Amino acid sequence: MSTHPVPLDRLQRWMQGVIVHPGTVEEGLREHAAEVPAERVGDVLLPSPRLTAAERIAIYQRMYPLRMQEALQTDYPALAHFLGDEGFADLVSGYVQAFPSRSYTLNRLGDRMPDYVKTAPGVRRPDFCHDLARLELAITEVFDAPETPPLSQAAIAAVAPEAWGGAVLAPVAAFRLLSFRYPVNAYVQTVKDDDHDHPKARLKDTWVAVYRRDYAVYRLELSRAAHDLLADLVGGRPLGESVERAVREGGRRAPSEHELFRWFREWVSGGVFRRVETV
Amino acid sequence: MSNRWSFPDLGVGVGLRSVHFGHILATHPPVDWFEVLSENFLDTGGRPLHVLDRVAERYPVALHGVSMSIGSTDPLDAEYLGKLKALADRARAHWVSDHLCWTGVLGRNTHDLLPMPYTEEALRHTAARVREVQERLERPLVLENPSSYVQFAASTMTEWEFLSRLAGEADCGLLLDVNNVYVSAFNHGFDPREYVLGIPADRVVQYHVAGHTNKGTHILDTHSDHALPEVWDLYRLAWSRTGPVATLYEWDEDIPEFAVLLDEARKALAHRGEPAPRPAAVASAR
Repeated sequence: MSTHPVPLDRLQRWMQGVIVHPGTVEEGLREHAAEVPAERVGDVLLPSPRLTAAERIAIYQRMYPLRMQEALQTDYPALAHFLGDEGFADLVSGYVQAFPSRSYTLNRLGDRMPDYVKTAPGVRRPDFCHDLARLELAITEVFDAPETPPLSQAAIAAVAPEAWGGAVLAPVAAFRLLSFRYPVNAYVQTVKDDDHDHPKARLKDTWVAVYRRDYAVYRLELSRAAHDLLADLVGGRPLGESVERAVREGGRRAPSEHELFRWFREWVSGGVFRRVETV
Repeated sequence: MSNRWSFPDLGVGVGLRSVHFGHILATHPPVDWFEVLSENFLDTGGRPLHVLDRVAERYPVALHGVSMSIGSTDPLDAEYLGKLKALADRARAHWVSDHLCWTGVLGRNTHDLLPMPYTEEALRHTAARVREVQERLERPLVLENPSSYVQFAASTMTEWEFLSRLAGEADCGLLLDVNNVYVSAFNHGFDPREYVLGIPADRVVQYHVAGHTNKGTHILDTHSDHALPEVWDLYRLAWSRTGPVATLYEWDEDIPEFAVLLDEARKALAHRGEPAPRPAAVASAR
C-alpha cells in the first residue's frame, strides 16, 4: 500500500494520459511523469503474478486504438479498404489525437473525418479519400436521422394539377444530396459487394442522393441535370420554376419531358419528399 | 430471497444486437427478455430505434449502459442522463444498469470501462454520484462489477467490499457479472467464490454470464465465446444465495446465429433448477 495515495482526480488524469498515448507504454509513462513519476508506477499499480505494473496498464493502452479503429471502420469501411489496414490504423491514430471522443457515443466519432483526411499526413490520394469519406459520412447521417414519413399518395392526389407549378417540396430528414469529383459511389458499392474490381480513383464528376426508406439506406446515382434539379427542389424552389431552369440551363443536355417525369416519379416513390406546399 | 426493490426475475435473456434484428422481428424467438445497450439507441431515429420499439412491445427490456462514467471525477453528463431517462421511459425498461468504472476525464471518453481504486475517497465520490443519477433517472441505478486488468496500490478494501458498501450507502442495485468475477480473480489472484459470497444477495437485480479469452498472462473480457464450466459454477453459487434473478448471456464479438446464442443462454436454466426447453439451434434447423 502506498503511504501517499495519489488523489482520485490526478490518478484518473494520469491513467487516461498513459492509455491514450499513441506511442509505447514506456513513452506514455514518461510523458505523464508530472502526475506519477515513471519510476513510481509500482507505487500506484500493483503487479500481478505474471505481469509488471507497466505491462498491466499496457493492456488498456493496446486496446484503445483498436477500439477507435473498430468504431471508425464501421463508419468508413470503403475508406478503410482503400487505405489498407496499416494506412487506416495510422489515419485513425492521428485522427483520434486531433479529435478524441468527447461524447457518450461513438456514433459520431467520425464526423470530422472528411476534412481531416484531406490534409492528414501520409494519406495517399487525399482528394479521393475526402470524397469517399463525405459519402460514407452521409450514409451514417442518413442512417441515424429522425424518421419523417414520406409524402403519401393522398397528399399527392390532393394537389390540383394546376397547382403543381407553384408547389414547393421538402425532403425527408434522412436525405443528403452530394456532388463528387471522383466515382466514390461505385467504389463504395464494390466494397459492399466484396468485388475487387474497384473503379480507379481518377477524376470523374459524379452525383449521388442518399436517403432512407422503410429504415433502409439507399444511394441513387444521378446525372448532373437530375442533381441540379433535385438541389433546386430540396432548396425550396417551386417545381415549375425548377423545371424551367433545368430545361433552360441544360443546353444540349437539357432533360426531356419523359426524363423529368421519370425522375420525379422515382424521387416521390423513393420517399425523398415529406411535404408538398402549394400557394 | 428476492431483491429489495422486488424487481422481477425476467428469466433468461440475451443482448439485442443489430446482427439479429431481422431474425428477431421476423420470428419473435422464444427468449424471455432483451438487454439493450443504451448508447446504441440514444441518438438515432433510424432502424435501431424502430427495432427497439417493436421489441419492447413484445418482450421485457432492461437498459445497460457503458458511458455513465459513474466513478469519473468529471461532472456527470446531464444531457446523457436526460436522454437515458427518456429512452428508459420509451422502452418501459424494467431497470437501468451501468458499470462501476470511469470512462474518461477532462471531457474525453476513452470508451473503456476503467477500474476504480477501492478507497474511502472513491467510495464517497461514487456514492454521491449514484444518488444524483438515481434522482435524475427517477429510478434505482443498477451497477455491474467490472472486469479489470490493473489493481491500485492505494486500495484499502476488496472490490466486493467496495461494491457492498457502495450499494448500501447509495441504495443502488447490483448486476453481478460472474464472468467478470472469474476474469478479475484470474488477473488479480483472488478467490472468485469469496467474491460471490461477499456480495449482498438482496441487492442483486441481474446476472451476466459470458465467455472470455485467456491470453496466458491475463484474461480479456471479450464476450466472444461460450462460458467456461467454472463461470457457470460461480453462477450456480450466486444463484443459491439470491434465488430467482434475471439472467443475461452476453456475446459481443464473433456473434453467432441467434439460435446458438439462445442455447448458450438457456444453459442457465440447468443451474437455476428449471427444465430446459427444446434446443433452439435444433428447432431453427427444422
